[in-house]
Amino acid sequence: MEYLTVALAKGRLAELSIDLFLQMGMDCSEMKEKTRKLIFTDEVHKMKFILVKASDVPTYVEYGAADIGIVGKDTLLEENRNLYEMLNLGFGACRMAVCGRAEIKDKLFGINNLRVASKYPKIAQSYFQDEKGQTIELIQLHGSVELAPLVGLSDVIVDIVESGKTLAENGLEVLYEICPLSARFVVNKVSMKMHTDRIMKIVEFFRERIV
Amino acid sequence: MCAFLWAERMLYNMADWKLHTPIGMTDILPEECAKKKEVESTIWSVFASFGYQETETPTFEYYDVFSGGGKFSTGLSQESMIKFFDEHGRILTLRPDITTSIARLAATKTEKLPLPLRFCYTGNVFRAEQTQGVRQREFTQAGIELLGAGAPTADAEVIAAAIEAILALGIEEFHMEIGQVAFFNGLVEQAGLDAESIEKLRERIDSKDRFGIRELTESLELEEQIKDLMMELPYLFGGQEVIEKARVQGLNPISSAALDNIEKIYSLLSAYGFEKFISIDLGMLQSIDYYTGSIFKCYTHGVGFPICAGGRYDRLVSQFGRNLEAVGVAFGINRILSALRHTEAEHTHKVSKTLLYTEKDADAVSYELAFNLRINGCLVEQYLLDETYQTAEAYAKEIGAEIMIRAFADGKLLIKDFIRNEIVETNVVDFIGYYAGEDDDDCGCGHEHHHCDCNDEHCHCHE
Repeated sequence: MEYLTVALAKGRLAELSIDLFLQMGMDCSEMKEKTRKLIFTDEVHKMKFILVKASDVPTYVEYGAADIGIVGKDTLLEENRNLYEMLNLGFGACRMAVCGRAEIKDKLFGINNLRVASKYPKIAQSYFQDEKGQTIELIQLHGSVELAPLVGLSDVIVDIVESGKTLAENGLEVLYEICPLSARFVVNKVSMKMHTDRIMKIVEFFRERIV
Repeated sequence: MCAFLWAERMLYNMADWKLHTPIGMTDILPEECAKKKEVESTIWSVFASFGYQETETPTFEYYDVFSGGGKFSTGLSQESMIKFFDEHGRILTLRPDITTSIARLAATKTEKLPLPLRFCYTGNVFRAEQTQGVRQREFTQAGIELLGAGAPTADAEVIAAAIEAILALGIEEFHMEIGQVAFFNGLVEQAGLDAESIEKLRERIDSKDRFGIRELTESLELEEQIKDLMMELPYLFGGQEVIEKARVQGLNPISSAALDNIEKIYSLLSAYGFEKFISIDLGMLQSIDYYTGSIFKCYTHGVGFPICAGGRYDRLVSQFGRNLEAVGVAFGINRILSALRHTEAEHTHKVSKTLLYTEKDADAVSYELAFNLRINGCLVEQYLLDETYQTAEAYAKEIGAEIMIRAFADGKLLIKDFIRNEIVETNVVDFIGYYAGEDDDDCGCGHEHHHCDCNDEHCHCHE
């Protein structure tokens, strides 16, 4: 039997996913311990679990380096890879939103060359360009995006909002919601065909637990 | 100091470009190239045995051929094509696929030929995008196009030829997944969806995203069983039973006809003995603006992408002014090479190599000998350096030569067999004479015949 490889986005999503795999009787408890290991093997079930950066999960799965991936919808939208998005796992729920100072809200879509800072350039571009028909100046950042409007780097930001606490503390708020987000169960298209039964068993198990 | 220089170079982009190939372009070295050519020739010979005739189309064409003149989608985005201008200012593009070129060729240049047309090709295509596993911007495709035949037997023939080619390559574990895009087209026509909603729904079904499909279909005014069917589409894959599951009450004629069509293709392929390789996936909906009927993809271990894909494209040829139904399949040669690496099987036929060492003034003898061996199917390499025999022998071992022949001016030959580790002395007249005297199993050169990969009809010791 060939190994099935599961790519998990490091962090909270991985922890929640591990619980589900543990419930299935798979031995991935080692992943809950503090370790620097990135790959874990369950010889009994012929499963491998790998921990990768969230934005790399779709890449691992598309190329078939991992058969299954668990990753946020935000990453899937941004990466836009060709894979099966089998389940909405429900956890890790948050939303993608345009955020900024309250006073900019009403004139937002009228600003010429609106400067938008984001860690998600494709989502930001697609929202303003395709949804709103607005040409923007996109500024790609890699962290602490909330800072950009405060120091005049951008007019607004496009980012994930969970509780909105960070925004509030920096005098920003959600101006427009783009879409809701949550963790998704994705599968490589070839793996789905080559290991249909094994993968569908996991899908069914997960589905029963999320509905 | 060194690190500083490197950083400075990087900063000022001082790379020495003449030492590099452009991004996504690559050299293919002999070992890889031998495997690639063998894969290509295996596939070609299977296609040829089905009566497909080889054609070549230009490496670059007018952009309009692939853009569909804005009126028709060839399934290729503007961004994915590498474009440039000719001296008249017209846009040219390196061909992103070969099917479209063959559709143009068939529409414009084959009017006098009897139908159906069977064309095959092997060639390089170019894509500017970096997704889809084609980090390479240039890659090789081999495929067939069957034009002017619309019956399910034509679809089945193309799929059968693809399966035969895969088997001939030595790949035994694979799945040929067959879909039918007209089934989905019938459903959305029934639902009266606009183009944008169709595209969204198609994308969600193709991603097997049930959640997304429900979001899209909830608000539709549709019979419940059709809505349920749309939700079920991603999971409508498997054997023939899938067709029965899809045949619900209230299907419109397009969808029903699509099910009849795929059922017929499935039963033909089963009759050909391919049931264990094929399955149905009605939720496979890629590039529906290009394909009009059956679509198929083949999957195997070791490569995360289909190794071949194809389908029926009855509207493409008419874009070039002639109505011709068509179905075809294309193989990604690079993906097949990945799949073969995974099976770790040795697929290249190694032709045993002979190294020829020419002593002083023995050039005539040496060439005569080499000529005779070569026309008998042997691979003979001449040692060119002005070095001793011992140095040449070390080189022979390095290049994996099995035989080394040392030719002297008086016609004497010393033949060293590295595998049996023995040396035989003979002369060029006898040696070539034996070749002329074929059929003689005992060549008299003193050692036993053993198997020669390059040609079963003559024995190794002759080399």
